[in-house]
Amino acid sequence: MDHIGQLNPSGAPGEGPPAAPRITVREASRSFVTTGRSAVHALGPVDLSIGDDEFLCVVGPSGCGKSTLLKIIAGLLAPSSGEVAIEVSGDHRIPIAMVFQDYGIYPWKTVRANVELGLRLSGRPPADRREIVDDWLGRLGLTDFADVYPGALSGGMRQRVSIARALAIDPEVLLMDEPFAALDAQLREVLQDELLAIWQARRRTVVFVTHSLEEALLLGDRVVVMSARPGRVIADIDVPFERPRSSAIRTDALFAKLRGELWTSLHSEVVAQFDAGKDRP
Amino acid sequence: MSTVLTRRPGVAELHPVRTRRRWSAAKIALGVSVPVLFVVVWQLSAALEWVDPFLYPPPSRLVPGIAALWEDGRLVDATVTSVRRVILGYLLGAVTGLVVGFLMGMSRVLRAALEPFSWAWYTVPKLALLPIFLTIFGFGDTSVVVLIAMTVYFFVWISVMSAVMAVPTGYREAALMLRANRWEMFRHVLLPAALPEIFVGLRIAAGVSVLMLVGIEFVISDQGLGYLIEQGRTLLLLEQSYVGIVLVAAIGYFFALLVKLIGRLFIRWAADDNAIIPS
Repeated sequence: MDHIGQLNPSGAPGEGPPAAPRITVREASRSFVTTGRSAVHALGPVDLSIGDDEFLCVVGPSGCGKSTLLKIIAGLLAPSSGEVAIEVSGDHRIPIAMVFQDYGIYPWKTVRANVELGLRLSGRPPADRREIVDDWLGRLGLTDFADVYPGALSGGMRQRVSIARALAIDPEVLLMDEPFAALDAQLREVLQDELLAIWQARRRTVVFVTHSLEEALLLGDRVVVMSARPGRVIADIDVPFERPRSSAIRTDALFAKLRGELWTSLHSEVVAQFDAGKDRP
Repeated sequence: MSTVLTRRPGVAELHPVRTRRRWSAAKIALGVSVPVLFVVVWQLSAALEWVDPFLYPPPSRLVPGIAALWEDGRLVDATVTSVRRVILGYLLGAVTGLVVGFLMGMSRVLRAALEPFSWAWYTVPKLALLPIFLTIFGFGDTSVVVLIAMTVYFFVWISVMSAVMAVPTGYREAALMLRANRWEMFRHVLLPAALPEIFVGLRIAAGVSVLMLVGIEFVISDQGLGYLIEQGRTLLLLEQSYVGIVLVAAIGYFFALLVKLIGRLFIRWAADDNAIIPS
């Protein structure tokens, strides 16, 4: 399962700020109208610029609108005001892929059919599909489960299928909505390492939403902290650890220091969100 | 004073294969023994004269009844007619219900336009419409088939529409991210996700179609098992009525079973209902 040894990071190590922004979020906000109540202001306004091939992690208290921001970038939800611009090449039928926390994969399709779906919908010929799918199944340790339905798999295996499907279409932008939140701590670390290895081998723009500060620091080039609802950007830090990284950096003194800083900026927001929850009927 | 709670393997854990086999056998035995018991009690109640055996003929008197009906060919004729009507009506109604159910499940506009009108129609007892259909199509198969189709249609339409609407947003969003169009969304997400609930509707509709069949044949009294039952009653040939009733029950049972088995072919990814005992 250890892929790190065989990989060489392609391109120059990500020193300095990446060149052109891939995703630009301008004054984006979102409100939801609930029945019988006034509108709930869930997000923003948020300004954010995400560089090409940058791995950005978004952290914030539950309900701060970080998933809403991701859905707006994904195009699943329109902003109530402001706009989001994403640079895509134009010759890719599915330029943006998303990994969901749940419901991402279909229980009525075998592992192979799930991973293949994006390729199938983008009209790739069967021979190509087979080769790409086999490759991704192999990289994520799913080869032996190719013809199994997801119902027979553990949560970690299912999330691997979800990641394999997103990466099989070779997207220009990868969005991940708390993909490891439902997994136990050990499995989480294993999948984080796998994701690191995969990303370092073939970089692309990633927006990764999580509520785990460690996860954000381990994976991201940059970590954005959001406030309690309505979510705004309250901190934006560059993660200085060099690539390729591995989970070994968790024991680094700097890692602990950064985690402490992030927690300080987040702490009052978590309390604020919690107190706001207590006041509600 | 303390008690020790112990957890040890039970019979199912110690002999999993044997337990499974026994349960399979027990399931069949239980399923068969209830109707057998029913027949025995029925026979006894006549033999012991708890009821008047002339008005309530016992099972033993049905055998000569069946033989007589078999010999003059009426049994076969009536069964063939009824089965033909119910199958045609069911297919027509189920296919229409599937198409309209999916269209309405997938389109808010269609739902807004057609739902109130459709629910109003649903509540009209379809037998009340029989005179209209008899005027349009005349006596015979067409009227019966169309009326059964209408009944089946509403049951299937409702179950399909609600099943499609109940497909979780997460499944739809995952397909949207893969840029699925409407057809692809239907083919890869909505249809497979809705199938288990749709087949529940199809099974209910199978039973209802047999109900409707007998009701219609009662009223128009031309052919079929419903006619056989009704004729037996008017001519006081009660064995004939009972034979008809038993046959109708058997047809209804096998029809619903057939729909269930077809459903299993399509829904291979879902676990069977008796998966409690691991193999």
